[in-house]
Amino acid sequence: MYLNSTPASKKGRVLVAMSGGVDSSVAAAVLKEQGYDVIGVTMQVWDYSASHCTIDEGNGTCCSSLDVEDARSVADRLEIPFYVINCEDKFKSTVIDNFVSSYLKGETPIPCVNCNTFLKFDHLIQKMHELQCDYLATGHYARIEDGRIITSEDSLKDQTYFLFTLKPEIVNRLMFPIGGWQKSDLRAYAEKIGLTVARKKDSTGICFIGKTGYAGFIESQVPREQLKAGVIRLLQTNEIIGQHNGIHNFTIGQRKGFGVAVGRPIYVVKIDTESGTVWMGDEEHLYSSTLEIRDLNWLDQVRDQEVLRVKIRYAHRGADAEIRKISGGEKDERWQLSFVEKQRAVTVGQAAVFYRGSQLVGGGWIARTETPVT
Amino acid sequence: MKHAPSLSLKDTGRIYLDHNATTPLLNKVVEQVPHWLAAWGNPSSIHFSGRAPKNLLRESRQHLATLLKCRPLELIFTSGGSESNNLVIKGFAPLAQALGRNEFITTQIEHPSVKESFRALESRGAKVHWLKVSRGGAIDLEAYAQALCDKTALVSIMAANNETGSLMPIKQMAEMAHVVGAKFHTDAVQALGKIEVNLSEWGVDFATFAAHKIYALRGAGLVFSRKGERLTSLISGGNQERGRRAGTENILAITAFGFVADLYNREPIFVERRDQVSALRDQMEKAIATDIGGVQFTGVEVARLPNTSSMVIDNVDGESLLMGLDLAGVSASTGAACSSGNPEPSPTLLAMGLSRREAQGSLRVSLGCDTSREEITEFLVILRNVVDRLRKIRADVKNADAK
Repeated sequence: MYLNSTPASKKGRVLVAMSGGVDSSVAAAVLKEQGYDVIGVTMQVWDYSASHCTIDEGNGTCCSSLDVEDARSVADRLEIPFYVINCEDKFKSTVIDNFVSSYLKGETPIPCVNCNTFLKFDHLIQKMHELQCDYLATGHYARIEDGRIITSEDSLKDQTYFLFTLKPEIVNRLMFPIGGWQKSDLRAYAEKIGLTVARKKDSTGICFIGKTGYAGFIESQVPREQLKAGVIRLLQTNEIIGQHNGIHNFTIGQRKGFGVAVGRPIYVVKIDTESGTVWMGDEEHLYSSTLEIRDLNWLDQVRDQEVLRVKIRYAHRGADAEIRKISGGEKDERWQLSFVEKQRAVTVGQAAVFYRGSQLVGGGWIARTETPVT
Repeated sequence: MKHAPSLSLKDTGRIYLDHNATTPLLNKVVEQVPHWLAAWGNPSSIHFSGRAPKNLLRESRQHLATLLKCRPLELIFTSGGSESNNLVIKGFAPLAQALGRNEFITTQIEHPSVKESFRALESRGAKVHWLKVSRGGAIDLEAYAQALCDKTALVSIMAANNETGSLMPIKQMAEMAHVVGAKFHTDAVQALGKIEVNLSEWGVDFATFAAHKIYALRGAGLVFSRKGERLTSLISGGNQERGRRAGTENILAITAFGFVADLYNREPIFVERRDQVSALRDQMEKAIATDIGGVQFTGVEVARLPNTSSMVIDNVDGESLLMGLDLAGVSASTGAACSSGNPEPSPTLLAMGLSRREAQGSLRVSLGCDTSREEITEFLVILRNVVDRLRKIRADVKNADAK
């Protein structure tokens, strides 16, 4: 039933990262169907028992034990070897710690990118070598054509935004078997081949955030004195309109319930890390035309001052911007982006990800945005 | 004897070296199971259907008593080792506490069912002394002597450690406990079948066993409770097992347990194989030390079970090692079997003074009564290949990081 020491398939052996969701389950099924030797692996990333999340709460996220059991049941159905590997320490140090410190600095981080960078496409790449696999496959909605990463067939599901840190040298070892699928077809296929997860609901949001929300999670991770409390001011008048118990409660563009006090809708437009002041302003203050990015990664060549399509958050549709290198060598370069049209709620901590047509060409972390002025 | 007889149900194409986790079924057990199924009745029934299972229950108890050198009515059937340990520790404590004894002594390397039972007592105000065990496997007897006092209710020390196979001086420790009027329990789950277990010679008051470590079915365990000792049933219910374990008996598993005990009593092969397994294990360790290198064996400064080998392999991640071995057809373990399948460094190895890193690179190999020389030879080749590969990848990653 299980593999022997010599790979039986001439097509090669693939390590598939299985979360227990329908996407990665179908990814494994498709590869098996195509004649690869498939090994399933689930990363145990967060001790759900420590965060007091109930089984119910964990359902449909990548950290519940139910999800591990779902992945196991799919692997069993496909008759492939399956392992749970312990990534809790690595997840804590590369994903959780960054996530917490970023929020404490008033930023709005995306932990999924770090999870891809340090776990899926680093730790699992090493496991791929260790287990004599030729490829690593995931259930990402993305495609690889001629060594290039391009957006998925199902444009609503595209996840290339989270893949901008991929090292170009590993791309020829990667497989995204479901990148060419429409979600509805994928579910129908899962149903047809009898996968128990065929109708499982999609995971939404961040896997380790439970019912207490972001703020509650941050508060559970750090001592109270590390939270940066302060005042809430109105940008135009400098007037103090309230107090808050920590800047981690806020994100740029968030509409706060102070509108009544000033007689119009107002939004978080700026978070001052030093003083802890949260600035509220009008919709117009949310728009900016430039931003600076750090820690860039390139998957293809770009020209200085090239105009690329840029997504500044996962749900962003993308906007054209001219990219220009402003400082630094290979390790600490910084680039500036100038949008053709002003963009709403550019947020430090999110990523700016570049596309040439449907090709993912690189990206970086938003380090600085234009400061709104009155 | 070059070829060991294959006595048990093995998976074809696999080398099974995880007998401390569980043992494959003896072929003879597999043959008998259909016959035992006919005794489906409730042994508590007075009518016809109750007679066959009642007889099987009695016979099993008799065979096990013969094997363990005790009296049949000193044996209580349970569901397994964990329940047995719970029953002794939690079932004895209230009686001792009523007599003003509220201190307990155990080790830091016990099975979780022992450790957690004592933690439950601690949370209810009991004082528990947790004895240290060295990397070489030796228990701190001085600390033990100091911990014993007229408040000591129960001492619980495993006869053989599940991960390293190191043996504890049970007879001596039981005598020491009795001097202060304390009772002595030994978790002998791993010892049973692998070394001679003689309860009358050991002089313990309680001992616990599990059927699935001696090639019988899962789902049956055993408590030895010396005549005159009392235990409070953990399960409220009927009067089965003389009121010490309520619930209808798992006749099938209990019958298989007694059947294997009877084989051990009658057939010399099981005892003969112990020496051969021990020699095979020693040769294997020698070969690993010379051929693979960078290997330290744990728990080897004391007498050990004949079948167990616990080692730390430098520059190798135990998780990847196990997966690599598995894909190459070898079943082994990094430490204790873990129900979640999520390998954490073994608490036992950490308690024995190994670093987290060492514990993560640990491998447990446990041979069975019919493990053959050919299997070990093949295992050595596979182990070497996997270790070489993992070390090379680790070195490559380090070099790449350094650049």
